[in-house]
Amino acid sequence: MLTYADRLRSMRETKVRHTLEKREQNGYTDLDDFGTVPISEGYEVEPWYNSSNGSFYGYDGMCENFCRVMDAHEPYVDPMEMLCGRWRDMLVNYRGDVHYLPDWLKKKPKIMEMMKSATDQWSKRWDEQRFPYDHLKPLQAKYNIQTGIDSDAHFACDYRIGFELGFGGLLDKISKYREINPDKKDFYDAEERVVHAIIRFIDRHIEKIRQMIPEEQRPEIRESLEEMLDTCEAVRTGAPKTFRQACQWTAFFNCAARVYTRDGAGFQLDGLLLPYYENDVKNGILDDETAKFLIANLLLIDPHYYQISGVDENDRDMTNRLSYLILEAADSIDIACNLTVRVHENCDREFLRKAIYYLLKNKNGWPRFCNDKALAEGYMRCGVDKKTARERIAVGCNWMCVPGKEYPMNDTVKINIAKVMEVALEELRGCEEKSTEKLFEIFEKHLRIAIDVTAQGINLHIDHQWEVTPELVMNLLMNNTLEKGEDISQCAELYTVGIDGAGLAVVADSFGAIETRIEKEGVLSWECMYSALDNNFFDERTRLILNSAPKYCGGNNVSDAWAKRLTECWVRNIRAQSMPEGRQLIPGWFSWARTVEYGTKVGATPNGRRAGEPISHGANPNPHFRTDGAPTAQSLGIASVQCGYGNTAPLQIEFDPGVKADDEGIAIIESFIKGHFEGGGTLININILDGEKLLEAHANPDLHPDLVVRVTGFTAYFASLSPKFRQLVVDRFLQGI
Amino acid sequence: MADGIIADIQRASFHDGYGIRTTVFFKGCPLRCEWCHNPECISPRPQQLFYADKCIGCGGCAEGCYAGARVVCGREMTAAEVLEQILPDRPYYRDGGGVTFSGGEPLMQREFLAECIALCKEAGISCAVETCLLYFDEDIFRSLDFVMADLKIWDSATHKKYTGVGNERIIENFKRLNALAVPIIARTPVIPGIDQGIDRIGEFLRSLDNVKKYELLPYHSMGNAKRVALGEPLTEFSVPDKEYMKELEKYAYIR
Repeated sequence: MLTYADRLRSMRETKVRHTLEKREQNGYTDLDDFGTVPISEGYEVEPWYNSSNGSFYGYDGMCENFCRVMDAHEPYVDPMEMLCGRWRDMLVNYRGDVHYLPDWLKKKPKIMEMMKSATDQWSKRWDEQRFPYDHLKPLQAKYNIQTGIDSDAHFACDYRIGFELGFGGLLDKISKYREINPDKKDFYDAEERVVHAIIRFIDRHIEKIRQMIPEEQRPEIRESLEEMLDTCEAVRTGAPKTFRQACQWTAFFNCAARVYTRDGAGFQLDGLLLPYYENDVKNGILDDETAKFLIANLLLIDPHYYQISGVDENDRDMTNRLSYLILEAADSIDIACNLTVRVHENCDREFLRKAIYYLLKNKNGWPRFCNDKALAEGYMRCGVDKKTARERIAVGCNWMCVPGKEYPMNDTVKINIAKVMEVALEELRGCEEKSTEKLFEIFEKHLRIAIDVTAQGINLHIDHQWEVTPELVMNLLMNNTLEKGEDISQCAELYTVGIDGAGLAVVADSFGAIETRIEKEGVLSWECMYSALDNNFFDERTRLILNSAPKYCGGNNVSDAWAKRLTECWVRNIRAQSMPEGRQLIPGWFSWARTVEYGTKVGATPNGRRAGEPISHGANPNPHFRTDGAPTAQSLGIASVQCGYGNTAPLQIEFDPGVKADDEGIAIIESFIKGHFEGGGTLININILDGEKLLEAHANPDLHPDLVVRVTGFTAYFASLSPKFRQLVVDRFLQGI
Repeated sequence: MADGIIADIQRASFHDGYGIRTTVFFKGCPLRCEWCHNPECISPRPQQLFYADKCIGCGGCAEGCYAGARVVCGREMTAAEVLEQILPDRPYYRDGGGVTFSGGEPLMQREFLAECIALCKEAGISCAVETCLLYFDEDIFRSLDFVMADLKIWDSATHKKYTGVGNERIIENFKRLNALAVPIIARTPVIPGIDQGIDRIGEFLRSLDNVKKYELLPYHSMGNAKRVALGEPLTEFSVPDKEYMKELEKYAYIR
């Protein structure tokens, strides 16, 4: 008889196989795993284009293609699992955006033919024919701005809405408000069709399970399939009533959200599922082992960001029995996993220690940790109440969101401040007076322009997103949407829009190097520096003179001071940017996984960085920031550059502390986390790595296809990453030892 | 205030005692262990190290080396300056962490060490010393939260052969230290090819009730590059393999 442990082992093996198969189909992907399974033979989608530029937009375009992609999805039922459903493909792939087009789709001649028949526009995600922004493009390029225009998702659903209504209830809600808002027919038609497509998806699973049951010889698996069938039938239209049904409902909804445009975000896992758990346990229909298996299964289906633990609006600890079971479940399957533990002084210390134990034991980059105090207090400075601030949970790489209420676009809008500095340096070249003060003055002037043009872009996006990429799946679980007949981009309660700066360390170290070597020591002249930048450090000694100046995170040095000053400048100007009524900008520091791409846009910089080399990662320091690479120095430096309005400047750290998963090792990591958070840090994306295994996998990824690393906020299978990206992770690791 | 000669201050050390620690490396050591991994800490005076592999041949040595090829090890510091370097990490010490004064042999700069400890204690920082135990200073040892002490080889003649001194005084000091009731972490670097008598060392340490932990540290060759940079001859030792360490594991303990 197969035990849960046997079944989990089998599920994990299948996952590893899928990871390798997906790499065959898609090539390397420097992205989250997203829980996809490989495309099966014969999979075909005939996209429908409603724009003359060869793409599709708006309620009808998005809805029709969602239904087509969804209907093309085969059911996924693994008899080893208790839950079913997986996604394989998303409709945005058919918009002709080669940036997102996977290898397997590019190989389909028919698709490529259709693409060619359209205009030669590179990206067709945004409908530029109707909503052009050519007037913004020169400045966006000048400052290397990631505009956010055409981005989607990056907000969080309130799953309570779905749990309460089920898909049938959502249809009823659509019908009800359709009557109230007759002028919103297009919206309600689209939403209704979306829900029906999800129900059809469930129906195909029901059909598949029915076919599998008679063929299943193992009694315990047959019984499990029968329960799976009952569960699917219950959640087909009904609201989930049990723990298992809530998990299955979540799995189906998540699959649909992912198919839409890889959308979605998780929720407070130990909060929303708790009533189901308690009720089922009370009724004697659920034991802890089964609950753990179901959670592990849910985590396997999709590595969404889920938050656990934390405190409520009255500062009361929310850690509960289920919080512990979730950690144990994640341990039992130990795959790419984006669990964030919310840390607060009132929280159960034993829980935090247990979370750290798994981080040390498995060395697979989970969980990560966020700081309630800094995040909640920061967000309250945006004018929200404490209850709302507490509801704002960790559901993305670097970002938080108030489920159901907020449309933040977090992690989609960025300014490469290394590029802004490059522009400033160029202007300074023509000035008679040259100083770091003058450079800073010019830098701030250009930063203001960059922020203004970024704001214009975001506002264009928010104004028209509903006509381009309405969030038809996520709208179902948001406040106001179905009630008003509007896309969430039109009717969110909170428009606290995140803007992240990228390249902080490059800029801080550049200012620090100029101040140290040119202004204080006189070792170099401005002319000599400009000449070195122009010839990309033809003279290595000049480069080293600049590069060996004290670096940000070195500890109370000149570049640390510049990093703080840059942060103050960044925050001040972003908060000063005027926005339409009801919208505000929230500053943060984060580059996501775009350090390589941003680096290619910036020439040589005064910190000794050569032209085209990657810029620094998020709020992290540059390589060799201290000879001892002290994680505490890094932590202190990053804690000192927090922007203070509820968005993060994450501490991204990977190291092999050589400590065991025992009391002593746990105490060390606990001290580290608490030290960072007491200093004001917001989020720790942490990799405790097995150095030997990492280096082996770098040489031959197939040796360890199960090795997971936290690339930025997200985790990824190391074997799926491109060699260049693997090198980045290895380099960061080598600095940390 | 006495000035000390400090080789380096390393933050966030996880292997020099309990918790997260800042390790202050004192310069000067009475032993001459052939395998020493901190050879730059042996001489009590500042020294220049030359890392040939980092040299870019720019010819600008006189104006300063920025390549990290020519590095001076050892600078005079006051205890207040040392404390200033330590303080930033204080938020991370929490339960158990603190400062470890290491080296070299910190007790070779006794007065300065006492001053550093006093300042740290005033700041509420837990202090430990990592010592070869050739010296004994009751006041200093009593002021510490724990002591890390090495017993490298049991046989005194062999000890003398590889470290330059016999171990009688060290063993005696172990007993005296034990009597002070200061917790002790005892350590032995494991050097394959030398009959260290680790079984005898383990047996002896078990007889001392304040030795809370006995750690066996596998030899590593990271000191070699520094030895070459100092222009000193190298003695090659092999790195113990996992099996060898596993075999010896039975002698290590925590209590």
